[in-house]
Amino acid sequence: MNTFIDRFSTTSAASQVRKLKEQEEDEFSDAAWGSEAGFGNLAKGIPSFSVPSVHDPTAFLRLHTDDHADPNCRIKIQHGTTTLAFRFQGGVIVAVDSRATAGSYIASGTVKKVIEINPYLLGTMAGGAADCQYWETYLGIQCRLHELRNRERISVAAASKYLSNLVYSYKGMGLSMGTMICGWDKTGPAVYYVDSDGTRLKGDLFSVGSGSTFAYGVLDQGYHWDLTDEEAQELGRRSIYAAGHRDAFSGNTCNLYHVKEDGWNFIGNFDISKMHYEGPGNVPGAPGTGYGYDVRVLGRNSSNPPPPEAAPAVAAHA
Amino acid sequence: MDHFPTNWGRPRNDAYDSYGTYPIPHRPYNGPKDAFGEGVQRTQQPIVTGTSVLAIKYKDGIMMAADNLASYGSLARFKDVQRLTAVGEFTVIGASGDMSDFQYIQSMLDDKMVEEFTSQDGHALGPAEIHEYLSFIMYGRRTKMDPLWNSFLVGGFKEGQRFLAYVDLLGTTYSASAMATGYGAHIALPLLRTAVEGKENLLTEEQAQKILEECMKVLFYRDARSLNKYQIATITAAGPSISESRELATSWSFAEGIRGYGAQTQ
Amino acid sequence: MVAVPDMDSLVNPQQRQFNPYTENGGTILAIAGADFTVIAGDTRQSEGYSIQTRYAPKVFRLTDKAVLAVNGFAADGNMFVKKVKQRLEWYRHAHAKDMPLRAIARLIQTMLYARRFFPFYVYNILGGIEDDGTGAVYSFDPVGSYERETCRAAGAAQSLVQPFLDNQIYFKNQLAAPGMSHPTHLPLPDVLSIVIDSFTSATERHIEVGDGLEMYVVLAKGRGLGGMEAIGGVQELSERTEGERLFVVRRELKKD
Repeated sequence: MNTFIDRFSTTSAASQVRKLKEQEEDEFSDAAWGSEAGFGNLAKGIPSFSVPSVHDPTAFLRLHTDDHADPNCRIKIQHGTTTLAFRFQGGVIVAVDSRATAGSYIASGTVKKVIEINPYLLGTMAGGAADCQYWETYLGIQCRLHELRNRERISVAAASKYLSNLVYSYKGMGLSMGTMICGWDKTGPAVYYVDSDGTRLKGDLFSVGSGSTFAYGVLDQGYHWDLTDEEAQELGRRSIYAAGHRDAFSGNTCNLYHVKEDGWNFIGNFDISKMHYEGPGNVPGAPGTGYGYDVRVLGRNSSNPPPPEAAPAVAAHA
Repeated sequence: MDHFPTNWGRPRNDAYDSYGTYPIPHRPYNGPKDAFGEGVQRTQQPIVTGTSVLAIKYKDGIMMAADNLASYGSLARFKDVQRLTAVGEFTVIGASGDMSDFQYIQSMLDDKMVEEFTSQDGHALGPAEIHEYLSFIMYGRRTKMDPLWNSFLVGGFKEGQRFLAYVDLLGTTYSASAMATGYGAHIALPLLRTAVEGKENLLTEEQAQKILEECMKVLFYRDARSLNKYQIATITAAGPSISESRELATSWSFAEGIRGYGAQTQ
Repeated sequence: MVAVPDMDSLVNPQQRQFNPYTENGGTILAIAGADFTVIAGDTRQSEGYSIQTRYAPKVFRLTDKAVLAVNGFAADGNMFVKKVKQRLEWYRHAHAKDMPLRAIARLIQTMLYARRFFPFYVYNILGGIEDDGTGAVYSFDPVGSYERETCRAAGAAQSLVQPFLDNQIYFKNQLAAPGMSHPTHLPLPDVLSIVIDSFTSATERHIEVGDGLEMYVVLAKGRGLGGMEAIGGVQELSERTEGERLFVVRRELKKD
């Protein structure tokens, strides 16, 4: 009954507040001052959002947005797909694919799923592309304010907790993000998994997204704390390749980052098809051949005959 | 949270559909429910409705037509309703859809015109301004999920310029030289387009009237929510004028020859 | 046989709810060159199988160096463009200059995301010239995720047009002639022909595309007209000739 009264009474406290708010909104907002144009409204704390005035806004959003199962949902929110990050002796490796799908349509093959929060912090994008982009940019603003207030960089733990508390306050509203906040702080390399349910986990190794199962398969068998930098980079690349190869919702290219004590480095962008046939090219840790299994069955059947120079060896054996 | 991003951001129900195989609108909702919330529905449906409005551009301005019927479901409830209304010195609005929402808008526009008059600033609202105002009202109400259930045609003539545009319950707007709402958009519009497009500056008042009358007749023959009493509005340099109700001269003798619908046996 | 539960009966009694969205068809497209950008859209507006009008613009001038194309639900699109223009005017009053393109892109993101829980059903493509003089295209999803790209098609026929652009602009699945490489940017006349071909083809194969084509061309400062002279029916929209220059080229498309 209380909710009923709150909504329709014209004299209750709630309605007074509502009226005041409506008046405020009618006046020119601070946005009239042009410098608010970019993130101005964000720097002042939590921004505000319009919510449809139906009794169940979440059901409304669920009905109209989202893709995959229901072709009637017109508003297709882009979904990101395979991401991974792991901690090792030499820092943190962050590797992601670059495919965005809206339903079964590949909306983009060039998405930047690693969000450069600041020179020491990286966030990954899986789930709603806009949710991740927006809130991780917002996180970047808060991290900078932390630096200005405290004269030192924010820890990865604190940054990730800021984000998880924030998304938790929107729980059930339809935010969709699964992200890893990666960086280097006083404690050394750190990786935290944060998702839109409010889960926040500290760990050595995570993979998120529909291709994560494939990435984990490669990652788990190759992972070791004492990996060299080259080996670790190759493992990240190889894991994303595996996901891109086996998961329809992942693919196109792999973006690889390495976080060290002095901040993150972008290692490179690798085409997944190219990695299959030719390998990642002349980069540290590369095997020199393609990742595809053609190379492993070379000469074993007639559709994949041995290379010309190998032919005499087989003859000699016979 | 599972590993599949398309399933995220939605309450989970492990009892049913744990693999997320049902189309989203059919999935069970197991979030909190507000028992009173369901008793409140501001989003209604149209009750007493008007059918199509037609309008075209012609040599001297805009001509608009609508019949005099307000239906209550399939009942022809009110048979002398005026669905064309002049707003100010330059504009006529034709309404289809819910008639009570139309009356509400009429009173709102009256207030607006009084307000504009009292300001005495030397400016008068023309059709473009009224259409803009109306489209803001309509879009604003749809955004509040409490729409005004109408489709309007706004026609006008000001400063030598013809104006003809549409706005509906969603706030959708557009403009063209021949327009129709509702059923007319399917049945009459093709006829109107053939008769008008490319000839906007040639059609005389008599010709324009003939075209609209013909289309009203076609609508009356095929639209079960229409009436053979209608009005025509013209908006020219002389201002708006809305005709008295006129009767359509119809002939049903052709019906004798129709076979294949209904219960005829041969 | 195990009976699959009828999901409808598990949910509350269903009631018909007002659907605040519709889809108005059409397609938009933008391609960036080295020192120019072309932003185009057809002019048909439809709902279901009805053509509402043959001329409803979907591409809008924001400043002399920024053009915004919107596609999806027309009422949301028009309102969104109106709001963006208002914010840009406020910016002009406060700073006595036009907002840079990358800032407009970020502005659009925050404006779209502010409606995260009641989205504008609009796909936006922003095109123009960056401060460094390069052509740029930014594409957005309805809730504001965005990316700078070289080319992008959106709307009803995006799945017809985008693969064509991938092939013609990014040279996907094309091998360069021996000893040659693919150019990174195409010249303006080539880009305009690709745009026209994209729309004539989409018109042939998609019922919601057709009637008219509007192509906005933004040229970088001091670039000269290079390639524009030969094109018929060009109208200049920029106020000054010394800065970035903005043109609109109109073409007819099939109306069936």
